[in-house]
Amino acid sequence: MNLSPLVKEFIEKGRSKSCPVIDMHAHLGPYQGIYFPNPSPEDMIRTMNRCGVRMTVSSSHASLIDTNENYEMAKVVKKYPSRFRAYWVVNPNYPERMQRDIASFSGMEGFVGFKFLSDYHKYPITSPRYEPALKYADEHRLLLLMHTWGESRYDSPALVEKLAAKYRNVVFLMGHSGYGEWEKSIQIGRDYPNVYLELTAAYAVNGVIDWMVEEATSEKIVFGTDLPWFDPHCGIGCILFSRITDEDRHNILHRNAERLLDPYL
Amino acid sequence: MKFFDCNASFGTSMIRPIRFAKTAQELLKEMDFYGISEALVYHARQRDDSPAVGNEILLKEINGFNRLHGTFAILPLQTGELGSLEEILQRMRAANVRAFWAYPAEHKYLMTRTALGSLYDLMVERQIPLFISVNESCGGISGWYLIEEILSEAEDLTLAVTEHGSWGHDRFFRPLVERYENLYLDISRYELDGGISDFCRKYGADRLLFGTGFPKWNPGGPILTLTHADITTKERGMIASGNLESILRRVRL
Repeated sequence: MNLSPLVKEFIEKGRSKSCPVIDMHAHLGPYQGIYFPNPSPEDMIRTMNRCGVRMTVSSSHASLIDTNENYEMAKVVKKYPSRFRAYWVVNPNYPERMQRDIASFSGMEGFVGFKFLSDYHKYPITSPRYEPALKYADEHRLLLLMHTWGESRYDSPALVEKLAAKYRNVVFLMGHSGYGEWEKSIQIGRDYPNVYLELTAAYAVNGVIDWMVEEATSEKIVFGTDLPWFDPHCGIGCILFSRITDEDRHNILHRNAERLLDPYL
Repeated sequence: MKFFDCNASFGTSMIRPIRFAKTAQELLKEMDFYGISEALVYHARQRDDSPAVGNEILLKEINGFNRLHGTFAILPLQTGELGSLEEILQRMRAANVRAFWAYPAEHKYLMTRTALGSLYDLMVERQIPLFISVNESCGGISGWYLIEEILSEAEDLTLAVTEHGSWGHDRFFRPLVERYENLYLDISRYELDGGISDFCRKYGADRLLFGTGFPKWNPGGPILTLTHADITTKERGMIASGNLESILRRVRL
């Protein structure tokens, strides 16, 4: 059995003192198409404690629908400052709110950047409607978590590449690593210093983590779970049981995120 | 804890997975890496080729490997490709094959009583489990609707549904779990936070089976999820291996 020191510790205890996991892709609250046993902030903290997750960076499900709900997310961050940071969701369906949302973000503590959900909001990430947020993120060197999916007309890896080349100061986190279009996603993660592969759901695909580490290096990969969707142990288990080193596992599970979040911690 | 994988395969398939086991020997090496003791297996050719070809390849490949337990892919008997019911049973007895798999999309048949009635009756009478992925489809129906169609045609069938997906299936399968007492789910993709413990509190642990979906899915996910799910040690053992062992023990060939 694969029993490196880190793997052994997680198998025996479910968490690791030396590896305080940071979840760079989480949500919060109930949602339309799924039953969640553990959707509240307190539920999520219980799960995080069980799995050794130090912090999550979330966008609430409600804010994916109505950006006014970002303010509710801000209350959660304020209540649990050691456990939550947040992304400010922008929704291109409401361009009249964009400037106001950006202004609100700029005055809000605990937010690390923006969240785009283009496959659901039905505007491509290259749409002019996203430009104000992208320009602001570029000026302020923010993180930008985007849902990305292979072959999508809204947020495929090829579209991410266009933005990564144009907005060099934005730190692009490719949510789900452009699921399915692995070769292209890995190439972008390798070639663009400002692009990171984010593992939510992607981790389950057997062999893909090994491939990412081999070609893009473990320094360009961050961990995520969509919590309260997925048990963090599922993603952590996939990373533990990949053919990579413990150093790689530390990079993916917390070190890269610590570096990216440093200005916000 | 002993892990007995209900959902693993090996062999060269039409679409190459990123990582896979070409032979039974390679599959055993993979299982050793993950700490999996035994597996109920199919060969990629059973799905990607004619079952008449694939079933024989599987038997040849796993011969002599007692940690690997074979399965047969089914077809409607009307075309005669798999022989008669008695001939199928004879081959199963000879190789101790104790489970069936159905791939109706690939093999193009309907999962109705008209097409599969005698096989359904055999499975019920001899308590032979049938495995099927929820991603299968046939005759214009798919997913959980297909699963309910199968169970409505053969209510007492022992049906194990695999890789039910991580994007929120509880609203689909919980009504079926309540209605059909021989419906089992593999946990290869039951990734929902708190899902396993919540399910066990409501329905008990005897309806869940440890499965990996190897080579498509990374076995590390279900291994760590089950190892630290908020359930009792007894429940964990049932899911990890006990439930599958009970199902296979009940089979009368």
